[in-house]
Amino acid sequence: MGILRLGHVDVTVTDLDLATAYYTEVIGLQEVERDEDSVYLKCWDEPNHHSLRLLYGPRVGFDQMSFKVEHESDLDELENAVQRYGFPVTRISKGQAVGQGESIRFDTPSGQQMELVHDIEMVGRATAPINPAPFVEGLKGIAPPRLDHVLVTAEEVGDSAQFYTDVFGFRITEQLLDGAGHQSAVWLETSHRPHDLAIVTGKNGGLHHFAWWLDDWDHVRRSADILAYNGIQIDVGPTRHGITRGNTIYFFDPLGTRNEVFTGGYRPDPDFPTITWTEDNIGRAIFYYEGEVNQRFMTVHT
Amino acid sequence: MSILRLSHVEIRVPDLELATAYYTEVVGMYETAREPDRVFLKCWDEHQHHSLILTFAPTYGLNHMGWKVSEPDDLDHYASRLTEAGVDVVRFGAEEIGPGHGEAIRFTIPSGHVMELVHGMEQVGNLLPNTNPPPKPLGLVGFAPPRLDHIFLTCEDVAANTRFLIDVLDFHLTEQVMGEDGFQVATWLEHSHHSHDIAFVTGQDRGLHHFAWWVDDWNQIREVADVLAYHGVRIETNPTRHGATRGHCIYFFDPAGNRNEAFTGGYWVDPDEPAVTWTESEMGRAIFYYDGVVNQRFLTTHS
Repeated sequence: MGILRLGHVDVTVTDLDLATAYYTEVIGLQEVERDEDSVYLKCWDEPNHHSLRLLYGPRVGFDQMSFKVEHESDLDELENAVQRYGFPVTRISKGQAVGQGESIRFDTPSGQQMELVHDIEMVGRATAPINPAPFVEGLKGIAPPRLDHVLVTAEEVGDSAQFYTDVFGFRITEQLLDGAGHQSAVWLETSHRPHDLAIVTGKNGGLHHFAWWLDDWDHVRRSADILAYNGIQIDVGPTRHGITRGNTIYFFDPLGTRNEVFTGGYRPDPDFPTITWTEDNIGRAIFYYEGEVNQRFMTVHT
Repeated sequence: MSILRLSHVEIRVPDLELATAYYTEVVGMYETAREPDRVFLKCWDEHQHHSLILTFAPTYGLNHMGWKVSEPDDLDHYASRLTEAGVDVVRFGAEEIGPGHGEAIRFTIPSGHVMELVHGMEQVGNLLPNTNPPPKPLGLVGFAPPRLDHIFLTCEDVAANTRFLIDVLDFHLTEQVMGEDGFQVATWLEHSHHSHDIAFVTGQDRGLHHFAWWVDDWNQIREVADVLAYHGVRIETNPTRHGATRGHCIYFFDPAGNRNEAFTGGYWVDPDEPAVTWTESEMGRAIFYYDGVVNQRFLTTHS
C-alpha cells in the first residue's frame, strides 16, 4: 500500500548524445528506448522499463522524480490526499508516457515535480527467468544493479518533509538540526532502507543528486577506478556517511548533474526512532571520515 | 498494513549455558533477558528486545518463528483471515509470551510449524546513541551480525505450504525449484522486498533447516569463517554463493546441532514481479552456485 520505492528520475540534458554515452559506457546503464527528445535507460537488474530518462532541454535540470506505488488503486487515494493538502494533480493517461501506464503528477511544496505510477512495463532483468546465473557477464562500466534514492533541495526543509510524511506516509529516519533546532536536512524512507528521498536546505525545485545502489565497498572501489579511468570529475569519496552509514562516491555527469553510488546502511522498521544530528556534528554527519563538508557539496546543485 | 519481516526465532537446546556461550561469544549476540529455562538475545543493530530465544529442552529444533507486523490492527486482520481459512488462532497479551514481548497471535501452518505474528515488542535500542551516532560500535565480540535475516524450513508438501503463505498471509513467491513431476521441490518467499524472508524445501514436517543472520558483505562472510574456525565451530559449507537469491553465505552448526547461516547480497524485488524458476536438474546450482552440487548432509540434516 502506498509508495514502494523510487521508480525513475527524469533529468534534462543539453547534449543527449554525450549524456547517453556517459550513462551507458561509464555508468553502464542499458538503453531501453529512444524517441525524438528522450533516451530511456535502466540498470541491468531492474525489471521495469526505465529508471532514468534523459530529456533534451535548453538547460541542465531536474524534470521530475517518479515513485512506484504498490497498487493501481493507490493512485486514486493519493491523488485525493495530495489535493486535500492543497496541491493540484494532473492525470497522465496510458499511452501518454513511454514505458508506463496511468500516472499522477503534481508539484511538491518545494517546487519539484513528483509523479506516482504503478503500471510500469516489465522488460525483465538482464538475468534469465529460468535457472539464472547470479550475475551477468561482460557488463560495461560501473553497472549498478539499480537506482536507489534521490536528494532534493528546498528552502523550507521542515514544511517540505511534512508533505511527504503526512500525505504519503514517508518516515523520517534521520534529521540534521541547525543551531535553532530547525531541520536543515531530513532523510525519509518508505522501503525499509535508510532513505529513498532526502531533502537539504537550498533553492526550491533543485536536484542535489540521485544515486545508484552498489553491491558493497569493493564495488565502490571499482567504481572509483572506472570514474578516474574515464576522467570523470569526482566530487567526494570514496568515503562514508555518518547519516545512513552508507559508503559512497559523489561525481558529476558531463553536463553537471551530480551522481552518487551508494551501499550499506541499515534496515529501519516503521517504528524506528529518528536519529538526530546536531549542527556541530554536520561534518561527520555528511562525511564521516573527513569530518567536514566542502563548499561545492553544499552549494552546487541542478 | 502488513507483515514486515522475520522478528524472532525460538529454538530448543539441551544445554542452555553452552548454547548461550556460543550465541553470545561466537556469534556475538547480546543477552537481554534470562529465565530459568529461557535466554533472550538480540543482534547489536536490532532495536527490539529479542530476535532469538533459546529454550531448554531435551532435544533441538524450532519451537516457533515470530513475524513482525507494522500495525496493531494487522493482528486482528490476519486472525480473521486465518479463522476463515479454518486455522485455529491463539491470542497473547503483551509480555504474556515473555519479557519484552509484544501482543501476538499464534497458529500452525500446514507443515506443522508454529508461526507467530507480533506487534509492539519492547524497543530496547541498538548499541548506538540516537544523536550523532558513529556508523558502528567498536569492540564487538564474535562475528557480530547486525540483524536476523531469514528462516528456512523443511516440509512434506512444499506446494501446499507455499500456497497457504501466499493466499492467507500475503507472502510473495520470488523463486522456486520445480521437480520433474511439476511440483515445487523448494520455494523462497518474501514480505520485505528482499529476495527471501522464508524458504521451504521438501523434507520432514516441522523441521528447521536453518536460520540466518544478515552480514554486511562478502568480506564479512570471510570474517565469519575466521571466527568460526578459530572457535572450532563445525563449518558445513565454506563461503560460497547461492544461485537462488544470489546471496553469499556460509553454513555452520550451533553446539546443539541447529544449523545457522550468515548471509548477504541478494536483490530488491517489487511485489508484482513474477517468480524465478529453477529446474530440478539445476538444483545444485540453485543451492550452491559455485559447487553446482548439493551435498547429502545439506539435504538430509535438519533439526
